[in-house]
Amino acid sequence: MLYLKRFATILALLVTSMIGAQADLDQERILLTFIPNVQFAPFYVGLQHGTFSEVGFDVELEHLQEPEVLDLVAVGQANYGIVSGEQVILARSRGRDVVYVFEWFQQYPVALVHSSELDLSNLEQLRGLKIGIPGRFGASYSGLTTLLNSAGLTESEIELNEIGFNAPEVFCLGAVDAAIVYANNEPLQIRNLTDAGECGDLEDVEVLTVASQVDLVSNGLIVNRSQLEEMPYQIARMVGAFREALRITIDNPAGAYLASLSYVDTLPSDDALITALTEAAARQQAFLADGPSRAEVAGSRRTMLEGLSRQFDGALLAQFHVLLDSIELWDADTLGYSDLVSWEAMRDILALMNLLGDDLGDLGAAFSNEFVSVSDE
Amino acid sequence: MKLRAENLAVSFHGPNGDLLPALGPISFTVADDQFVCLLGPSGCGKSTLIRVLAGLLQPSTGAAFCDEEVIKRPLTGSAIVFQDTNLMPWRTVLDNIALPLEIAGMSRSERYSTVRKLLPQLNLEDFERAYPAELSGGMAQRVALGRVIVQAPQVWLLDEPFAALDALTRETLSLELLRLRRRARQTIILVTHDINEAVLLADRVIVMSRRPGRLVADVEIDLPRPRSAEMIYQRDFLQLTKKIRDLIEEQRA
Amino acid sequence: MQTTTVSRDFQARQKRQILLRRLCPLLTILLLLLFWQWITDREIISPILVPSPADVFAAFASALADGSLARHTMTTLGEMMYGLLLGVGVGLALGYAIAKAPLLEYVLSPIIVAFQSTPIVAYAPLLIIWFGTGPSSKVVTTAVIVFFPALVNTIVGIRSVSPRLRDLMRSLNAGPGRTFRLLEFPSALPVILAGLKTSTTLAVIGAVVGEFVGSGSGLGVLVIMARSQYNTPLVVVTVLTMTVIALSLYSLVALLEWRFLVWQRRASA
Repeated sequence: MLYLKRFATILALLVTSMIGAQADLDQERILLTFIPNVQFAPFYVGLQHGTFSEVGFDVELEHLQEPEVLDLVAVGQANYGIVSGEQVILARSRGRDVVYVFEWFQQYPVALVHSSELDLSNLEQLRGLKIGIPGRFGASYSGLTTLLNSAGLTESEIELNEIGFNAPEVFCLGAVDAAIVYANNEPLQIRNLTDAGECGDLEDVEVLTVASQVDLVSNGLIVNRSQLEEMPYQIARMVGAFREALRITIDNPAGAYLASLSYVDTLPSDDALITALTEAAARQQAFLADGPSRAEVAGSRRTMLEGLSRQFDGALLAQFHVLLDSIELWDADTLGYSDLVSWEAMRDILALMNLLGDDLGDLGAAFSNEFVSVSDE
Repeated sequence: MKLRAENLAVSFHGPNGDLLPALGPISFTVADDQFVCLLGPSGCGKSTLIRVLAGLLQPSTGAAFCDEEVIKRPLTGSAIVFQDTNLMPWRTVLDNIALPLEIAGMSRSERYSTVRKLLPQLNLEDFERAYPAELSGGMAQRVALGRVIVQAPQVWLLDEPFAALDALTRETLSLELLRLRRRARQTIILVTHDINEAVLLADRVIVMSRRPGRLVADVEIDLPRPRSAEMIYQRDFLQLTKKIRDLIEEQRA
Repeated sequence: MQTTTVSRDFQARQKRQILLRRLCPLLTILLLLLFWQWITDREIISPILVPSPADVFAAFASALADGSLARHTMTTLGEMMYGLLLGVGVGLALGYAIAKAPLLEYVLSPIIVAFQSTPIVAYAPLLIIWFGTGPSSKVVTTAVIVFFPALVNTIVGIRSVSPRLRDLMRSLNAGPGRTFRLLEFPSALPVILAGLKTSTTLAVIGAVVGEFVGSGSGLGVLVIMARSQYNTPLVVVTVLTMTVIALSLYSLVALLEWRFLVWQRRASA
């Protein structure tokens, strides 16, 4: 009996000490969409540079479909998720009280890719085109509707083809005239194909972004209402850590790409590229020490790409290129700030598409800028 | 029709690739309209012999003849009754008996009326819509016999048709077979391992040795016809069965 | 006298048992519904995750009223039907050929097994690229998934035809056509119908997988659209519709069995 008691005490001590080792870090899941990809570089940077652990989080990343991310955050099974703003409006109209606290993508990433021979300077010319789209759902569909709306057209005036996430293949087969894609991803793939002469007769493509027409709210970090009310300080810590990681990524894409290599299995790399990126990252770090302006940093990114392009071929750099194009969608003077106008524009599109549920409520409650310090820069 | 076997032998390939002799060599002749019983221990190759005579199996050496023509494939004039009844479980009594007629291309109404005429003498008139699984063993064997009768064959090859039946049913069916035969004479070869059955039915009994079966004895059965069940107690009958039994015992020794 | 009463009692008891057995599935469904209602009433699980039966019924009524449910169901049903025709048709023909010519099995089995053991979800996107984004690619995904049970059961069915009945047919000088019609087909039918039961239930999966990858209409699309609009009740309605389709097709084959396999029923009685 006595032995048993002693044994139990030792066991209890052991267990508490084991928990104690991690007790100073809060376990948090961040739910992401899609699959591990260089576009999530800020999270990999945050994990590798310790920006999350510095403020007390042990972060685990998980990838799910967008509606699942939103519902799990809405019911409190996860505290943080990344979804697009339109999902927030849609879900709120059907009783999910989630709040968008950090606008990661400052520009709506959806775009229309088409042959350069096609002149779309006047959007009217979309009429009658055969356009490919993953499906009649999600950001791509909202983006297309926005473009059509700006052109004064309706869906019946074009020929819409659901092609899944196969835009490069279907587009290059010539099955569609244009395709709705993510501005930072497929256009690059298609350009690589045209450069290699593997995209039918097409020699070059152009990209028409939705953001060039209308400012729509895009991807950002969400939390649920009760969490927002109960533990705002924890959210502030998380938002702060993510903003820092995002800033590091924007400032030093070479370092961000190196960080992503440990998290994205399929990311192209070889020893020469890793050496070159390591050197580029170090040079960039030195350059940043002088406190350059946002425009100067943007210039340095272009220089970095030019330097690497001289050394490596397009296929090896494709994902690095995706990262740089993504950064253009993220960069802003005030990271994370969300504008009511972009929410209203999004809501109007969704209303136009007849997708909203009954209890729309106050659009102002859908997002909050309280964790985004304007004096950040 | 006359049947003849000449130095007929069959071997099969064993699992190790070696040749396993199954039958013969054996030679005999069956005259037109004769009823012959093949008698022998189980596994002696009786069924194999029937399959050769039916044209379902080619002999390894020697040949079988029907009216002096080599049997190379199933003959239209001969019909076979298998050890088990070998009925199609998805066909009714009527359709099972009518199968040969259907294969011959007879119309449905024609073949049904042909079969219905036959049902009373098979004692099956109340069972035309029944399926094989619903029949007793004796009834099922009568259906199998009916399937042969509709073919009106000149040669009947019966491979232990009554082996699975109880003794009484077996005797009844054997005598029914004789009764059916009286209406139209045919050449019949019946395989059995029952001496009484052989003597009661046959004009001749051919006794075969153990595997690979060869001819041991060829016994003429000169009992008067028509035969009846009581005959098995008569002296002549008993003498014949004893003679055959002795021949088999000699074999065994 | 006494024995008849006993047997009558026994019969009555048996009848009651049969009735009870028939009622059991309904009872299970009813209990499940009550349990579902109770969970949602008490909000044991958030209505975001599990909508109430009333909400689901409302979603069903509205999807029925605006014709969207019927339209998507017809698309999926059409894809399934053509997929079944193609997949089962090829399965039957190839199965028969393989059963008759074992050499074919050696030639084809690596391809067939590879096709079967690779999850269709994984290569469905390729099928979309190869066969286009229209219904044809869904017909192909359905055909691919229903093909295997049809093939295997045909091979097994034809190979297990009694060799003694084959002898009988040969002794009756039946040609290949008559042997097929009068022996092989009826003999293999029970096994083939069993395979068809599996195929029909798989057909729904095939069509919906194809629709998930990229499609304009169909129940798979309706699920995605409902989900992307956070209309969980409509998701449930769509999933239940798929269940009903699968069950109906299954019952249809069971009905075929009932009609064409009278002899089996009588044999087991």
